[in-house]
Amino acid sequence: MVVLRAGLCPGLTEEIVQLFRANGIRTVVDFVSSDLEDVAQKCSLSYKALAAVRRVLLAQFSAFPANGADLYEELKSSTAILPTGSPSLDQLLDSGLYTGEMMELMGAPGSGKTQVCLGIAASVSLGLKQHVLFLDSTGGFTASRLYQMLRAQAEAEEEQAALQRIQVVRVFNVYEMLSALQELRDRLSQQVVSSTGPLKMVVIDSVSAVIYPLLGGKQSEGLAIMMQLARELKALAREFCLAVVVTNQVTRDSSTGALKPALGRSWSFVPSTRVLLESKEPSGEKATTQRVASLAKSPRQPTGIQVELDIG
Amino acid sequence: MQREVGSLPLAPALRARLVAAGFQTAQELLETGPCGLSKEIGITKEEALETLQVVRQECHGDAARTAGASGATRKCTALELLEEEQAQGFIITFCSALDNILGGGVQLTKITEICGAPGVGKTQLCMQLAVDVQIPECFGGVAGEAVFIDTEGSFMVDRVVDIATACVQHCQLIAEAHQEEDHLKALETFSLESILSHIYYFRCRDYIELLAQVYLLPDFLSEHSKVRLVVVDGIAFPFRHDFEDLSLRTRLLNGLAQQLIIIANDHKSAVVLTNQMTTRIGQSQSTLVPALGESWGHAATVRLIFHWDNSQRLATLYKSPSQKESTIPYHITSHGFRDVQPSAITQNAEDIEMNPRKRPRREEEK
Repeated sequence: MVVLRAGLCPGLTEEIVQLFRANGIRTVVDFVSSDLEDVAQKCSLSYKALAAVRRVLLAQFSAFPANGADLYEELKSSTAILPTGSPSLDQLLDSGLYTGEMMELMGAPGSGKTQVCLGIAASVSLGLKQHVLFLDSTGGFTASRLYQMLRAQAEAEEEQAALQRIQVVRVFNVYEMLSALQELRDRLSQQVVSSTGPLKMVVIDSVSAVIYPLLGGKQSEGLAIMMQLARELKALAREFCLAVVVTNQVTRDSSTGALKPALGRSWSFVPSTRVLLESKEPSGEKATTQRVASLAKSPRQPTGIQVELDIG
Repeated sequence: MQREVGSLPLAPALRARLVAAGFQTAQELLETGPCGLSKEIGITKEEALETLQVVRQECHGDAARTAGASGATRKCTALELLEEEQAQGFIITFCSALDNILGGGVQLTKITEICGAPGVGKTQLCMQLAVDVQIPECFGGVAGEAVFIDTEGSFMVDRVVDIATACVQHCQLIAEAHQEEDHLKALETFSLESILSHIYYFRCRDYIELLAQVYLLPDFLSEHSKVRLVVVDGIAFPFRHDFEDLSLRTRLLNGLAQQLIIIANDHKSAVVLTNQMTTRIGQSQSTLVPALGESWGHAATVRLIFHWDNSQRLATLYKSPSQKESTIPYHITSHGFRDVQPSAITQNAEDIEMNPRKRPRREEEK
């Protein structure tokens, strides 16, 4: 729905825009879908000029079809699979996190979502020596726990370097999160190397904490912002070949009493992979660090597979 | 500068009008200028000016952050965070078993939630923490002040007097044992009157007052920058009746949680909330679970559940980002919150260095 404005393309001057507006053509879509001879007559402009403008506008605003073989080649060369550091989780995700896709971890409080996120960040930073951006909206990021995890896996020197590769941004409402993502986009498109280095992963813990205050009631603004966020994340993942990991809460279904992921049906279409984390024993007499991860949605694996994780 | 119009923090009606008029990025808005904007959308010039100001602020904020200034934003590497955390103190609870399972005590910059049945000791712990946050640094405390927001009316000043007197006596014993300069100097200012005068008490009677108080708290905290603890005693009480629309309740609670996290983070203080328990009726049995629903469980970073086992009070750490789940027993004495059997406490060398008073405590307690 782009409005026609002078200077949008060469050949589109202010007077032409005014003439169009007088005849009811406001946006690019209106112009491109109208009959050119008709417009030429009504606005008394030359057919050739109009055809030239239309060609430029189409080239600028339409999407170009690509063929499957080219897409496949491009995918093979640009996608990377990042191992998560936990062999059972890798098995669940078909060998790891795919760049260009979003993975969602959901679970009840205390089920281990933040721990798994920290583990993945530690593994990518230490094992693959890639940079990680961690957006924390719950205040649950504890650097000492991350340090503990790194110490268990690495030698002395590498931990400091690994910690420096993980950048943490604390965002507590959805506009701050969108600002942070915009800033990431600017940084990546300007390709500022040196301090930031090759960023391969963005972890967001948690996305529901910032969206929940806006959802519900009679306002539809919350859904609009949620979809903006979803679109921005997927665009970032696809354009810059990043793997995006988000965590989500669970709520109780009011009619059946079963646990279901938060943020509703609209959000359920956004991540390509969804993993549910649960405690091993539901009655829990003894405290345990075992968790069960089940695959709820995946483009590659059959759903319903379960593996056991140790978040200890 | 390519920020989409849909993602700017503007009023929804205004945003809808901007999108309908065909504006896509913030850059286009800035280029149009206030007069053009007011003509295209049909708003007054003042509104257009305000809108452009908001947009400019967002974009300049983005640009400054890209250029590397990290002043107002909370951005840092994990290494810097680790150093910050290691330098941060904890608020001790005087029950060393509880401090151990919490990793040293109640952590600053995090929200801790205490759930429990009535009478198990939640308000006692809150009052203990309001006194303990004021312990001077040479005794191992954080030397801060406390804000106590009471919704149930369970704050008893005479009880706080008992707890504070016991705390001051404890510190005096340590000072006598160690005989150091700064200990004696600190003791001059650490007295019953100073403790009581640094607990700021607010009474909120319904959820609107509570929300207003929490949203006004940042202003209060910027004037009283020494506050290191915010206690909300009874966050469940105002939200458990009077609500027909449960989704509104969830939304308000989540907004409240985010505001509390912002307070905890920006002012480097600990936030402690107490919650009630409710019964969930399952298929064959019923269990006691914390109130306010599933989504509230995600609000707190650390969750402690207090419960009874015959006549022994137990505390379980149910959710924490850095500690394992565990359960310990505790006692409530006339001095306040204490351990059960002080002789059974094992001590590490680190603990003795960090908290010198743990050694004398063994001799003092019976």
